[in-house]
Amino acid sequence: MNQTLQFYETLTAILLVMTQSSTISFQTLPNGLQIVHEAMPWLPSLSFNFLFPYGSATDPVQLEGSASVLSDWLYRGTQKLSSRDFSDTLDSLGVRRGGGSGKEYSNFSGSLLASSFKETLSLYKDMFQTPLLSDEEFASARNLALQELASLADNPTQQLFETLSLRYFASAHGNSSYGTEKGLTNLSPDLLRQDFGSRLSPNGAILSVAGGISWQEVLDTAKSLFADWQGPSPHLPEIKLGKSQQEHIFEESMQTQIGLAYESVAPGQLGWYENAIAMSVLSGGMGARLFSEIREKRGLVYSVVAASRTLKDFGYTLAYAGTSPDRANETLTVLLAELRNIAKGISSEELERARTGLLSQLVMQGESSGAKASALARDIFLLGEPREMAKLKEELLALTLKQVNGFLSAQPDPEFTILSLGSKALDEVLV
Amino acid sequence: MKISYQKQILKNGLTIIGEHNPYAQSFAAGYFVNTGSRDETPEVAGVSHFLEHMMFKGTPRRSAEDLNREFDEIGANNNAYTNEERTVYHATVVAERGPAMLDLLTDMMRPSLNQEDFDMEKQVILEEIAMYEDRPSFKVFESGNRAFFNQHPLGNSVLGTKTSISALSREQMKNYFDMRYAPNNMILAVSGNFDWEALIRQVTEQSLSWQAQESPRTFPTFYPTGGDKLEQDSKLKRAHVAFYAPGLSAQDDTRYAAFLLANCIGDSSGSRLYWALVDKGLVDSAYFYHDSNDGLGVYQGYLSAETEELERVKKIFIDTLLDVEASGLSNEEWERAQRKLATGLTLRAETPYGRLMALGPNYLYGNEYQSVDEVVEKIFATQLETAHTLLAEKPFSKLFSYTLKP
Repeated sequence: MNQTLQFYETLTAILLVMTQSSTISFQTLPNGLQIVHEAMPWLPSLSFNFLFPYGSATDPVQLEGSASVLSDWLYRGTQKLSSRDFSDTLDSLGVRRGGGSGKEYSNFSGSLLASSFKETLSLYKDMFQTPLLSDEEFASARNLALQELASLADNPTQQLFETLSLRYFASAHGNSSYGTEKGLTNLSPDLLRQDFGSRLSPNGAILSVAGGISWQEVLDTAKSLFADWQGPSPHLPEIKLGKSQQEHIFEESMQTQIGLAYESVAPGQLGWYENAIAMSVLSGGMGARLFSEIREKRGLVYSVVAASRTLKDFGYTLAYAGTSPDRANETLTVLLAELRNIAKGISSEELERARTGLLSQLVMQGESSGAKASALARDIFLLGEPREMAKLKEELLALTLKQVNGFLSAQPDPEFTILSLGSKALDEVLV
Repeated sequence: MKISYQKQILKNGLTIIGEHNPYAQSFAAGYFVNTGSRDETPEVAGVSHFLEHMMFKGTPRRSAEDLNREFDEIGANNNAYTNEERTVYHATVVAERGPAMLDLLTDMMRPSLNQEDFDMEKQVILEEIAMYEDRPSFKVFESGNRAFFNQHPLGNSVLGTKTSISALSREQMKNYFDMRYAPNNMILAVSGNFDWEALIRQVTEQSLSWQAQESPRTFPTFYPTGGDKLEQDSKLKRAHVAFYAPGLSAQDDTRYAAFLLANCIGDSSGSRLYWALVDKGLVDSAYFYHDSNDGLGVYQGYLSAETEELERVKKIFIDTLLDVEASGLSNEEWERAQRKLATGLTLRAETPYGRLMALGPNYLYGNEYQSVDEVVEKIFATQLETAHTLLAEKPFSKLFSYTLKP
């Protein structure tokens, strides 16, 4: 244990150095745009991420899929540059684009050499404020969305999770970001232009930047480009859950896919760190319980995993296992037993391993500008403020075994939504 | 302080290379073993990959549980992968935990290979094979490789088959291990923040008993298949096509021109195929890239579309390649590709792990060490004319396609 303590001291020292050399700055402009930055002065590169609070959960009824199509449509040119020229200009600057639409928010990210930041950001400004939004590009964006939706049919795992989400949520949070065929077909350029007006707004949006650039340069650039922009405030629907249930989808496949969803802790709420520790004990490294019990000791699966999912005021856990049809019942039984068993508590060794794992992840994540930028934006969206590394570290180090186990035993028995997909139905396990 | 490179070959033949980065907080290390499915005979198809799993199953010093637990205790991100020509075991930790991680990783290189663990892990491998059976975007390359490489061992499946894995014995695996995991047939590459002298001492001591020996690899003449092949599977909903054309080996100095050429044709955004197929939503995915292997290289591509549209989109895909072959590329698109590749390299080099994954394979292919800046320079120095010289040999006129459809 002495060695462990020593290691924490070293980790603490490293995190302290990282905290000092790379402080987080955060400011909200009068129009509601939140800007957050973390310096990584040793890097020649940087990453930025624009987060807008619209996604499949805010898709209008009968227009499911509109968030994804809108995000794609925006990339297809500005009033100054055609779709082709816009893309070529970003490529000439060496900007690697990323992003997409999730349930509650959509991202537009970029990674590049720090010297091209200003020019790149001004192209993104045009994309958000004066996009082309032509009928022709709409048709292409919708076609692509329809293709991507259709491709799920040959991807059983993805199909499983899209359907599980629909069963788990009773509210629009169950919507898939792929949309539905009907929703996509119902879309029109005019409907989506209206959508654009209400969804692309600085109000509630976040710009995060991490890498080899100063806060002052980020702030000056962002102010000069976005300070005049005005727009409505976002609205996120209330979360409603479906009933706990078990269902099977018949599909000719070699493996049976098993997915589970159940409620956990909302971001920033009491028990947040305790839950993070418990998830790490269940599914953190190769020594974690699920991997050890289901794969290592029983050889039932190649892939088994459980992970936390977060929405603005809600947290849930998704678990997955893929196995042969004749071993699916046993796999589900062991998986459920392990997920329930965590309520009985964890050992002090498990706590230390999980704590070390989480602290190490923080250090390693701190080395990549892309990982940093998306974590910064997500924290602002979920918690309303950045998480200072020092505070995070302090809270993780302060957790005692008694606290974690007290939290775990006080949790109600999880109400599972279970979905399987494969050639053979599973036994009913929810009574 | 700046980035520095070091190399040492131990008495037993193990080469250790390291790129030290004084700004790094983490330490990444990997054993890169020069062995993969191309080094297998048909009787042991899939043994390289199965062995990779077995390496996690314990050593004379540690049980499988100990290994997994100890990696977790030091907060390591660790994993392994196997492909046609190498098997790689890697881990990343906070620098302070470097020696402990290296002890674990090095210990793993001399595994117990117990019968009981072998029998259990066989089940896991069979599940992995079944999992990929359900993924046509993967399966089309398994079948496509076999057909395109036409008896050449680079066409061997990494996973093996249900039959070959079921029939494989522990003794066959042990023989393969003894033949291929000699210290002179692997390297240890490290990156990030570490103490070079201490590291050399530690690994020297820990690998004292390792014996060098010959681990030959064959390089038979390659006769690529041309034309089209079709496989039908009623379970499928869409069509998946893999494309192949002969390319440049990892030892060929002009390979950067092939990387850039393939990027102009088939990068995931802003490429010829992107504008011809993806932008318009004619397919859900289409890409093309160049892969350099030991002794020979290959251009590879993929598309997935509705079955009814297959002929039309396949023609667009092939015509796009033939058009580039006939008319070449513009300076503007060449420069964009140079910029994209260079930025991508710089971004991956942000982390010691990202750097490690470039250092190891490059050395295994017998190439000299190059810093990120040197590679970036090389990319910008690569002339469009070199690509046009490659195109003059008409590689895309020899295109092979493998189609998987309902």
